[in-house]
Amino acid sequence: MGPLVDFLPNSDRGKAVLNLTNNSTIADMLDKLKIKQRVVVAVNGDEEKGLDHILSDGDEVLVISLVSGG
Amino acid sequence: MTYGYTGKILHVNLTKGELEIEEPDEQFYRTYMGGSAMGMHYVLKETPAGVDPFSPDNVLALCTGILTGTPISGQSRLTSVAKSPLTDCIGDAQGGGYFPAEMKFSGFDAVIIKGRSPKPVYLWMHHGEAELRDAGHLWGLKTGDAEDKLKEELDDKRIEVLQIGPAGENLVRFSALISMSNRANGRTGMGAVMGSKNLKAVVVRGKMKPVIANPEKFKEMQKLAKVNMEPTGMDGFGKYGTPGVCSPQHRAGGLPTYNFNSGNFDKHEEIDGHKLYNEHLRGHEKDDQNRFGRDTCFSCTVKCKRVSEVVEGPFKTDAKYGGPEYETLATFGSYCGISDMDAIIHANALCNMYGMDTISCGATIAWAMECWEEGKLTLEDTGGIKLNYGNAEAMVKVTEMIAHREGFGEILAEGSKKASEIIGRGTGEYLITSKGQEAPAHMPQVKRSLSVIYAANPFGADHESSEHDPGYKAYPERMKEIGLTNPQEKLALNKEMMRFAMITQHLSSAVDSISVCAFVFGASFQLYTPEQLVQAINAVMGWNVDMEEILQVGERRLNMLRAFNSREGVGRESDTLPKKMFNRPLKGGRSDGYFINEEEWEAALEDYYRLCDWDVDTGHPSLKKMESLGLGWVVADNNELSKVII
Ligand code: SF4
Repeated sequence: MGPLVDFLPNSDRGKAVLNLTNNSTIADMLDKLKIKQRVVVAVNGDEEKGLDHILSDGDEVLVISLVSGG
Repeated sequence: MTYGYTGKILHVNLTKGELEIEEPDEQFYRTYMGGSAMGMHYVLKETPAGVDPFSPDNVLALCTGILTGTPISGQSRLTSVAKSPLTDCIGDAQGGGYFPAEMKFSGFDAVIIKGRSPKPVYLWMHHGEAELRDAGHLWGLKTGDAEDKLKEELDDKRIEVLQIGPAGENLVRFSALISMSNRANGRTGMGAVMGSKNLKAVVVRGKMKPVIANPEKFKEMQKLAKVNMEPTGMDGFGKYGTPGVCSPQHRAGGLPTYNFNSGNFDKHEEIDGHKLYNEHLRGHEKDDQNRFGRDTCFSCTVKCKRVSEVVEGPFKTDAKYGGPEYETLATFGSYCGISDMDAIIHANALCNMYGMDTISCGATIAWAMECWEEGKLTLEDTGGIKLNYGNAEAMVKVTEMIAHREGFGEILAEGSKKASEIIGRGTGEYLITSKGQEAPAHMPQVKRSLSVIYAANPFGADHESSEHDPGYKAYPERMKEIGLTNPQEKLALNKEMMRFAMITQHLSSAVDSISVCAFVFGASFQLYTPEQLVQAINAVMGWNVDMEEILQVGERRLNMLRAFNSREGVGRESDTLPKKMFNRPLKGGRSDGYFINEEEWEAALEDYYRLCDWDVDTGHPSLKKMESLGLGWVVADNNELSKVII
């Protein structure tokens, strides 16, 4: 889950279904969620999609925060 | 008038009971800036080659930096350096809290400790003065109890204490220095070095605040913390702390599980920062964790420290011993296949009260668990304890036994590498160590540039010595500030990734010398950018340093650490990765099948050496490099070194 879960509306253990307009990009999605920090995004298991990647209906999007310390 | 620093270094000879104050000039501070580099100056000058880590001749340096004690986020850090009893190479460990700032206020920038006291003592530094005091009555006490006693005895609640616990007294090779009973200079066994000197604690108190050269500019830098907080996501980091990365690490396939054999832990949610925050931080019943369950370091607005408690049951735990970091949740948790949060919080508290590094302790137990699962250890070895993966009671019990060097704990107190040499039976196969230091919870199989840093880092496997691979692509503006403009694809292990590794290592190395927090200053997710670190230094010091000069401070420190190892006869042959990372592909999750190709890795290591200007055959720094960093004296002063650094 991580800190990003707080940005998800009605999240169920870090997962949520989002309704986006047609031709929304990853950047649009992050905008809608108000996520401003840098993240790694994987679409349907395919990692490192750019911000301008256009999402399709039913896509599973994984957003991972980048903090590397600990 | 001095800005930033006090200008006073305290030298302590414990054998003779003598204290001396040195006042170096400004050039000294500009060359090293504090922390690790400053400490290495003394370790290289005053420690004889080949010294036994537990000998009185081993020098232990405790150093703050030029920004320590100024009211800005991320500056209250202290670095300890000495030869490590865990790795027999140079040792180095950073820690935060309130001790470093208070030490500066007491009137000293650093303490350089040598010798061995004939009886237990503590060092009391206050208002520009220092004295050694009897610590016979503190020896054997848990850190929390010793701290309470000192506050009573000195009649001052506001003292800060950096101390060893019973583990340091017992020379557990991964003992830590603990302050506030919950902050650790954890790695490489600096607590055992202090224990070998019969020095129980360093206690500080003072009001001598550092003077700031340019208060206007400094105010601007303070305000930037607020501006940067949301866009960097550091507000969320502060809320959930490092534990918030457990689940993301699992999802990326990089949460070390079952002693590093998988990057996938099915029960990751059980050990994640959300669960810790919602169910274990103090104040969670009233949803008031922000007030009661989060703690900070002097003047830091991030507030990432956890205050957790277990109110009942077998793992009942007092909140004064803090809360687990991500590393601790992983090493005592997923490394051991354990998802019992109460048990992990308890093991973390045991490490803080006895004074041990949670990474090496948890990882050593995970190694023993794999040996058990593989049939290499029996009940006879363990004294009747079943060490199967997932056994939380056994993990907690063994942690306690290690601190007391009791039963099987006596062997594990040596660290996993030395323990494997004692036990034999092929148990070395299951090690996850580099230079004998257990690997932290970031997987080189997944973040490939770490594979070379883990191997080549002079004090063993370390995750805070360079930026991690995904940062290169994700933070192009920040990377550009340090000359990195060519991000590579995931899993690349090529020349450009070695440039990334080396340059960010120089920055991290500068961060550990200036002695600031790696969550606040850095080239990726941190609160401040590298350029803003430069500005903060100039605001405090009235200097005009630039990025190049800062990176050079980092490179200087790295080469000092490396030259120390060269002097001990340690070079390329010790720059290795655990065998399993080459020959055992990970199982399950996103990183299923990942391993490191040995040939590709050897080539990358050589690229890295060339970039560093270290000899490809021996791994030693070149004389030219040492001289260009103003370190010619390190070689000239030493016969052994002048034979290998050429
Ligand atoms: S970010 Fe966390 S560890 Fe670093 S100085 Fe702030 S509170 Fe301390």
